[in-house]
Amino acid sequence: MLDLTQMYSEYFLEKSLLSVMPEAVLIIFAFIILLLGLFKSIKNGENSYYIALIGIVFSFLYLFILSNHTIHGFYGSIIFDKFDVFFFTVILLSGFLTILLSKNYFDTRNVLIPEYYSLVLFSISAMMLLVSSINLIMIFLSIEFMSIAAYILTGYLKGESRSTEGAMKYFILGTFASAFFLFGSVFIYAATGHLNLYKIHNFIFQQSYKAHYIYNSHTFLAIGLVLLLVGLAFKMSLFPFHTWTPDSYDGAPTPVTNLMATGIKVAAFGIFIRVFTSIYSFNILNFYNILWILAVLTMTFGNFAALLQTDLKRLIAYSSIAQAGYILIGIIAGGYYGISGTLFYLLAYIFMTAGAFGIVIMFENLKLASVDIKSYYGFGFKYPLTAAAFSFFLLSLAGIPVTSGFMGKFFVFSAAIKSGYYWLVFIAILNSAFAAYYYIKIIVKMYMVDNQSNNNSIADVINDSNVTVNNGQMEIIKENHVTSALVIVIILCLIFTLILGVFPQPFINFAAKSVTSLWNI
Amino acid sequence: MNVNDYLIVATIIFCIGALGVLIRKNLITIFLSLELMFNAANLGFVAVSEYLNLISGDIFVIFIMVVAAAEAAILLGIAIAFYREKGTINIDDANELKF
Repeated sequence: MLDLTQMYSEYFLEKSLLSVMPEAVLIIFAFIILLLGLFKSIKNGENSYYIALIGIVFSFLYLFILSNHTIHGFYGSIIFDKFDVFFFTVILLSGFLTILLSKNYFDTRNVLIPEYYSLVLFSISAMMLLVSSINLIMIFLSIEFMSIAAYILTGYLKGESRSTEGAMKYFILGTFASAFFLFGSVFIYAATGHLNLYKIHNFIFQQSYKAHYIYNSHTFLAIGLVLLLVGLAFKMSLFPFHTWTPDSYDGAPTPVTNLMATGIKVAAFGIFIRVFTSIYSFNILNFYNILWILAVLTMTFGNFAALLQTDLKRLIAYSSIAQAGYILIGIIAGGYYGISGTLFYLLAYIFMTAGAFGIVIMFENLKLASVDIKSYYGFGFKYPLTAAAFSFFLLSLAGIPVTSGFMGKFFVFSAAIKSGYYWLVFIAILNSAFAAYYYIKIIVKMYMVDNQSNNNSIADVINDSNVTVNNGQMEIIKENHVTSALVIVIILCLIFTLILGVFPQPFINFAAKSVTSLWNI
Repeated sequence: MNVNDYLIVATIIFCIGALGVLIRKNLITIFLSLELMFNAANLGFVAVSEYLNLISGDIFVIFIMVVAAAEAAILLGIAIAFYREKGTINIDDANELKF
């Protein structure tokens, strides 16, 4: 319901605009890139790259300026609070890393056009809007805004059938999920008469199923919550709803895969935490048990499927499904510790994933094709630094101490134990031990397999390119396989993975401070 | 007519749409089935909004229509790209990315 007194308030527009300022900056920069695209020749993506980076920096600036305020905007559809500050930071960092990765990837392929960066900015702004929305209309619109940009980005490689196929699968299943979300909203609306999350929460809290509402509204509410969960689980790629994930991650250009695996997943978890702590918090239908089962299935399936992969990108895609299972444990544990542990895990997760994808891009640029696991046998001898960085990211994903992955798992699991979910933690620890096998297998192959016996290894391709300098294509490969942007991404990810693993205190404090605003509406 | 009847009709339409997505092979038919699912939600929103004498459901319906139009544009783009590569829009031919 619209509050008319608020509408005529003097500061209404100003406050509303302030509440979406970090997103608005990104959208403005995205439009600037689109407009400049008119005047430049099509192959010139250089300017749009820098404009996109500047846009991210300005958005950070606005975020920093607003970081101490809590602003309600647009008739209570949008809220900007401490929780958003944390998620905006994570999403902007993920976008920043994605843009840095994109430059190198598309330069090598000569397909860069300015629209790419504007789409990335649109997608990032939609993720931020998603996390800050507290109205079902706004959540739906943000999910669609984010996804539509991601569909286009997934199919961005023109003439590559894998890319188009990934986009198609992502589109069909993503829209299918949105339809479930919408139909769930219908039933929640029928049961409560509200679309605002906190009004729905209050309504359920009062249990005021009055006579003028539909008589079986409790059933409606249960149906609505289940359908809503299905819609959100698609976006978080939880087990029975994960099927689009490996295909679209594999088909998409690798920087876009990075954006989907980090930014979109973080945003989906952000809105899920908002929804879950408000309208799911009454334990109608035992939602904690449903999530318990989903988390176990997601972890186990992700790890088993990752074990069977021979393609590096698909392996990381499946491992990201497994990571979603671990992240879900923190949400199930709930409360102050559980949610702040989840937030810390998400922060740790984007750095290790972006770092791993940075290395995958390096591999891809060497071969200009999909990366088979066999192709980096013996890589550790030829490129000790790169191989060491990759090993570090893999160890972090496996959750070995001194890395951020370990601290993330530690916070999440200890919160779950505090809430009494012993079996869940037991299964999760078994799963991490199991996952360590396929992560460490890669490291073993990099360092302990003799590269002389394998003609297909990347190290040999590099040797060949050194010999045949006159060959034009090889020369390009040699020049472009590592650029400063890629090195910056990998070093940044390394530093943060290490710092988060060794000194997690300031970051967990940041996460904990942002969580408090969830219950103080 | 009770509002429950409208919701039952909406649920039937939603199920027909979901079945269409799962069974059909033609990309355009699949998209029409997705539209059917969206419009089932529209019907539900309009019915409930009218019954409860509220306006927010009607507002939601307009936004859903806008989003559905935007998605049609994206899907047709993907379908054309797919047709150029495979010469067909049968989704059984999308078989390069497998487990």
